[in-house]
Amino acid sequence: MTQILTTAIPDTSAPHTRRRGASSESARPLHVLLAALLYLFFAVFLIWPLLQVVWTGFVRKDGGFTLAYVRLIFSDPVLLRGLWNATWIALVVTLLTLAVAMPLALLSVRYEFAGRRLLTGLLLVPLVLPPFVGAIGMRLVLARYGPLTQFVRLFADLPLGIDWTGRWRIVGIVIVEVLHLYPIMLLNLQAALANVDPAMEQAAANLGASRARILRQITLPLVRPGLFAGCTLVLIWSFTELGTPLMFDFYDVTPVQVFKQISDVADNPLPYALVVVMLLTSIVLYVVGKVVLGRGFDAATTKASIAATARQLPGWRGALAAAPFLLIFLLAVLPHLSVVLTSVSATGAWYKTFLPRDYTMGHYAQALVDQLAMPSVRNSLQYASLATLLAVIVGLCAAIVIVRSNVRGRGVIDALAMLPLAVPGVVLAFGYLSISIWFKRKLGGHTPRALDVQEWPVLFLVIAYAARRLPYVVRAAVAGLQQTPRDLELAASNLGASRITVLSRITVPLILANLIAGGLLAFAFAMLEVSDSLILAQRTDYYPITKAIVELAQRLGDGLYIASALGVWAMVLLTLTILSANALLGRRLGAVFRV
Amino acid sequence: MRRYLYIILFAIVLMTPFVMRQFMVSEAPAAAKSKDRLVIVTPHNQDIRREYARAFSEWHAGRYGQSVAIDYLTPGGTNDIVRLIATTYSGLRGPDKQLPPEQRVRAEIDIVWGGGDVAFDRDLKPLGVLRPIPIAPRLIAAAFPESSLGGVRLYDQTTDAAGRIQPQWIGVCLSSFGIVYNPDLYATLGLPAPQRWQDLDNERLAGLVALADPTHSGSAAATYMMVLQRAMADAEIELFAQVPALQSLPKIQRESDPRYREAIARGWKIGMGRLLLMAANARYFTDSASQVPNDVGNGEAAAGVAIDFYARVYEQQIGSNRMRYVAPAAATAITPDPVAILYGVKGERLTLAVRFVEFLLSPQGQRLWILNPGTPGGPRERSLRRTPIRRDVYADRTGWADDVNPFTESAGFNQRGEWMSLFGETRQIWAAAWIDSREALRQAYARARAAPDAAKRTELIQKLASLPIELRDVEALSTERRQRQKQKLETDEWGARWRIDWANRFRDHYRDIARQAAAWM
Repeated sequence: MTQILTTAIPDTSAPHTRRRGASSESARPLHVLLAALLYLFFAVFLIWPLLQVVWTGFVRKDGGFTLAYVRLIFSDPVLLRGLWNATWIALVVTLLTLAVAMPLALLSVRYEFAGRRLLTGLLLVPLVLPPFVGAIGMRLVLARYGPLTQFVRLFADLPLGIDWTGRWRIVGIVIVEVLHLYPIMLLNLQAALANVDPAMEQAAANLGASRARILRQITLPLVRPGLFAGCTLVLIWSFTELGTPLMFDFYDVTPVQVFKQISDVADNPLPYALVVVMLLTSIVLYVVGKVVLGRGFDAATTKASIAATARQLPGWRGALAAAPFLLIFLLAVLPHLSVVLTSVSATGAWYKTFLPRDYTMGHYAQALVDQLAMPSVRNSLQYASLATLLAVIVGLCAAIVIVRSNVRGRGVIDALAMLPLAVPGVVLAFGYLSISIWFKRKLGGHTPRALDVQEWPVLFLVIAYAARRLPYVVRAAVAGLQQTPRDLELAASNLGASRITVLSRITVPLILANLIAGGLLAFAFAMLEVSDSLILAQRTDYYPITKAIVELAQRLGDGLYIASALGVWAMVLLTLTILSANALLGRRLGAVFRV
Repeated sequence: MRRYLYIILFAIVLMTPFVMRQFMVSEAPAAAKSKDRLVIVTPHNQDIRREYARAFSEWHAGRYGQSVAIDYLTPGGTNDIVRLIATTYSGLRGPDKQLPPEQRVRAEIDIVWGGGDVAFDRDLKPLGVLRPIPIAPRLIAAAFPESSLGGVRLYDQTTDAAGRIQPQWIGVCLSSFGIVYNPDLYATLGLPAPQRWQDLDNERLAGLVALADPTHSGSAAATYMMVLQRAMADAEIELFAQVPALQSLPKIQRESDPRYREAIARGWKIGMGRLLLMAANARYFTDSASQVPNDVGNGEAAAGVAIDFYARVYEQQIGSNRMRYVAPAAATAITPDPVAILYGVKGERLTLAVRFVEFLLSPQGQRLWILNPGTPGGPRERSLRRTPIRRDVYADRTGWADDVNPFTESAGFNQRGEWMSLFGETRQIWAAAWIDSREALRQAYARARAAPDAAKRTELIQKLASLPIELRDVEALSTERRQRQKQKLETDEWGARWRIDWANRFRDHYRDIARQAAAWM
């Protein structure tokens, strides 16, 4: 039986390779053109701005090249410990995220129980939490005299409260990151599980394999692309995560060290060298992940040939299945709840109490008339929509070249598309800033408005958003293509369909669910992008919502409350974005989300 | 129908605020119609930006018959602004890193406004991007009867070839740094209200003190410098009491006297020790100016170091049982918050920029900082609650949001230029001792505090506070930096290298204390 199972997932068996090679021989011009365009895109919008910034880490004041700063990093115990901490925190977070998401994904895809649709949808909520507001919400929940402490105080006398963020910092960082990142893993696993052909598992079951064995030998190998996508995204995200450790005032991780030094007064090249080290480490992590999970995957025959049937779990068994969903949801949603409560709490009325003492709707009214709030909402919607469109187009092209072509250097395109994950947002943002200045220096008074960040930051913002979130789209599209049999496209080609027809009538519809999943992630994150927004949007008229929230939250007094009101609105809108896309696309999106 | 339910809901949620806004806001006729425009880069908050844009436009229209539109650029905090300006001008520099003559430069930004004198004097001025402000000397004389307050210059005193003052920056309001604390939490801890900086050294405040990062906030660093200088000045007073003859000696002779040098070095060491214990109590070293008052108000921290106006605004909103501000007597750091005009601003724009500076220095522009909303000449929406820099406006404080006078608060203490010259190096030493070796410091401090015997505990904590560094070490670093700069040697790598070395030494010191404490357990 093992033989049947292994041949079901042909590796790169000889005849197979030849067939692919032969067929893409004719496809080359289109693929080469695509690859060339992609290289151009990455060169201009990723490599150039990065080089602009990273170069600083290798240049002496007199202009000469130097490795002194890189050497300096390896002689500094503080920075070395930062790298070590960031690495192991990322590994633990990835493993825990997997441990949380895998059972949930299996339960939601394989079983039918009361409230499943709702619960699975609710689990995605952490994705729509604006990060700055999320940090504020988490701080509120974990405050010394916050609601969590008040709960514990029911059982113990604690006059000084509990110092959650001070004493349990690393544990806190890991928990917060897991609760924030599990939806990414969950989405990828659900998409992969939904794509697994139930016939495979049924065949194994017919041949007498136990359920555990089917999971280990059939299901897990088949979902490897989703597993790989989820793990790399979470691993690299948590490795470069800045907001969470900052929130816990934990400075000994590389991203915080880069951030602190880059925003230092001194004009110091060291953080730029540190960015290079961090980038290389991310790439190593990515490659290791690829070797462990993603090597040589070529699922020519997955993609469900028959509809999957979910097992019914009635009564208490259904309730048992629903319990973990509810638990994770409640934990993950705590910061959201506290943001909602903050938005309706009277100024300063939430102190040493479980719930606020006084309530008001006044902050919402204030948000409406505020000079920053509403225009920023309109701006963000525009930027995020344009950025998503751009990311989906580029991401689809990249995925086609990566999976379906044998263009030389397609691995490089894959790596380039993932690169933004490893680059701290601040670095890329400064890169775009210096490009804009470069144009102004070359063109002087003739600089087009679009290239002048201080005049009209929209172009750079859209590109920055798209580039930063491209990895999600690429990973989603690549996973879709890998799980879609090549044969369908070949059949269409054989029947005389042109490449464009094949693309628009066969390929895109087949992986539409993946594209939409990636696009939604890109949209949600573009709406919530912080670092690019802070640096590139300098004129109030062009502020996106995140910059408005940051600006408001720094205004003492009611600022935090108005920021929360704005954050609540953004959360509702993003939740409805996902729900309406789901409604529009019906079962096709359901295949991804299984909601 | 259900299919479209979410889409309809989406549309409703999307549109509601925009529709409601139409009813709630009657858009004022845009001042954008004005022909004249000024581009100002600033870290000031939205309230300040809005009120000053309106008030200046009205003032200008009244005097020159033309309104002015202000275009604010807000790239973030002070450091972001310094970097933005440095990047903008770095493109203009020739191969010798020099800027071309001003006539050949088109400035993108007219004015930098706000961020503290440290950023203007130590970061922007050395870049050579601040142009001398051609303001009438009589206006300076009228606004500043004295050129400094408590030893801190209120405006830049660069002179032109003819010896006339041509300031590159001018202070337009004052900020003072003091202690904020949470009376509620202090009562729970059973501690008396803090009065002096060293009250933040109490070991019972471990993990309860909110501090700003000295390498990120120039004003916070200036405040720590104040603590240091207070201890040095105390040592000086003590010495003069013992050896009165020294006091009457000329400054140069006095400073070369070994007794004097030894006393000052001792005072410096005491100050560094006080600061180290404050840092050992620190919960964090934040970059955000509003985090300290916020956390103190919420009871997350018991006390912290914060700017006066943040504390006052917040105290009013949440009540004085949760937040109070104390200006430590004769040791409050009061610093000017400047405005400057950038290199390359010419012609009409220059005229307009100078008028903006004139407006900020006028009694009208000064009172706007602190008047209550709705008062004549006051802000429209809310008080900005910052303190004016013109001494004469304090004579009449009717309609003011706060009855304060930094000119009386600063009495009795002077910052010393010769001590301030070590500012740059000292900041890096603090970073090495407090932040780079933070975990080792925390552990050693926790172990020392856990010592069961009270006398031993005090001894260990005193040992911990006594860092293995002396004033002469910092002086040597400062001298070396100057020499390297003179010889055009690089200073970045050198600076980073010695910071690592010192952090290693401090870490060894902390570990040693931790071992000693463990031996006592």
